[in-house]
Amino acid sequence: MDKLVIAGREFQSRLFIGTGKYASNQIMAQAIEASGTQMVTVALRRVDIDNPDDSLLSAIDRKKFLLLPNTSGARDAAEAIRLARLSRAATGIAWVKLEVTPDPYYLLPDGEETLKAAAELVKDGFVVLPYINADPILAKKLQDVGCATVMPLAAPIGSNKGLRTRDAIEIILSQATVPVVIDAGLGSPSHAAEAMEMGADAVLVNTAIATADDPVAMATAFKLATEAGRMARLAGMAPQSKQAQASSPLTGFLRNE
Amino acid sequence: MSAKLKINGQEREFADAFPATLAELLHCLNIDRATVVAEIDGKIVPRAEFDATPLHENANIELVRFVGGG
Repeated sequence: MDKLVIAGREFQSRLFIGTGKYASNQIMAQAIEASGTQMVTVALRRVDIDNPDDSLLSAIDRKKFLLLPNTSGARDAAEAIRLARLSRAATGIAWVKLEVTPDPYYLLPDGEETLKAAAELVKDGFVVLPYINADPILAKKLQDVGCATVMPLAAPIGSNKGLRTRDAIEIILSQATVPVVIDAGLGSPSHAAEAMEMGADAVLVNTAIATADDPVAMATAFKLATEAGRMARLAGMAPQSKQAQASSPLTGFLRNE
Repeated sequence: MSAKLKINGQEREFADAFPATLAELLHCLNIDRATVVAEIDGKIVPRAEFDATPLHENANIELVRFVGGG
């Protein structure tokens, strides 16, 4: 598989994995391993003072997987910037998935606040991977302020609805000069394969794997689907046609005329 | 005399043994310092400075850590 480069860093896998909603840290760790991913997202939350036991980070091998903190929970640029800086203080790494979602029902990102935060964070030395609606104009603006990727959603977070924003994603793919990662709403491996066939550079999946009956098997399925989609893209798919295109010659039939 | 600290939005009283430093506070609360990030009065405190960071009464402290997320 051809390698993917984001902000000068090489990735062999084009599947990124979220770490939320797993039944246990053990299953999460197994699923991450099965997926073949090299980058996993995490969130930042207040420590529960009455119950401070924490084991998430111990279940993620930081030597194998790049940690990508997200700014989930941020309702505006200021909150996102604060979370990004806290994450950098925690890991020493300045990669951030910028996520600004003021509405908890649909969890759609606020493009205006995302752009504001992105500009500030890029200036502050962050590698910014912004989560956005499939908005081609916004994608270009984020590119222009120096984001390392753009990450348009296929459908709302955790909805498993697949590529509902297909047409707009196609426009983004035709215009982007940074890697495009389809992030959110991919519900089955076929969605991931289709995203890669369309020309996406990578996909990010959490819910579809974490809440499958067998997350480890599903992680493997997504791994294979992402690879298959990319291989198909590189192999050059045959065009679609309104009319039938016969597989064998329409002559030389054995018939009584 | 009891002294208060605001921790993660909640006021807590320390009747005796008011933690002198951030490191002491974490130890007192049984919080693993290796995985926590801290803000005092809106300013991030680097992990290397936990032992050297004094706490004053009524300080507004935020303690956050990584959890699962997409």
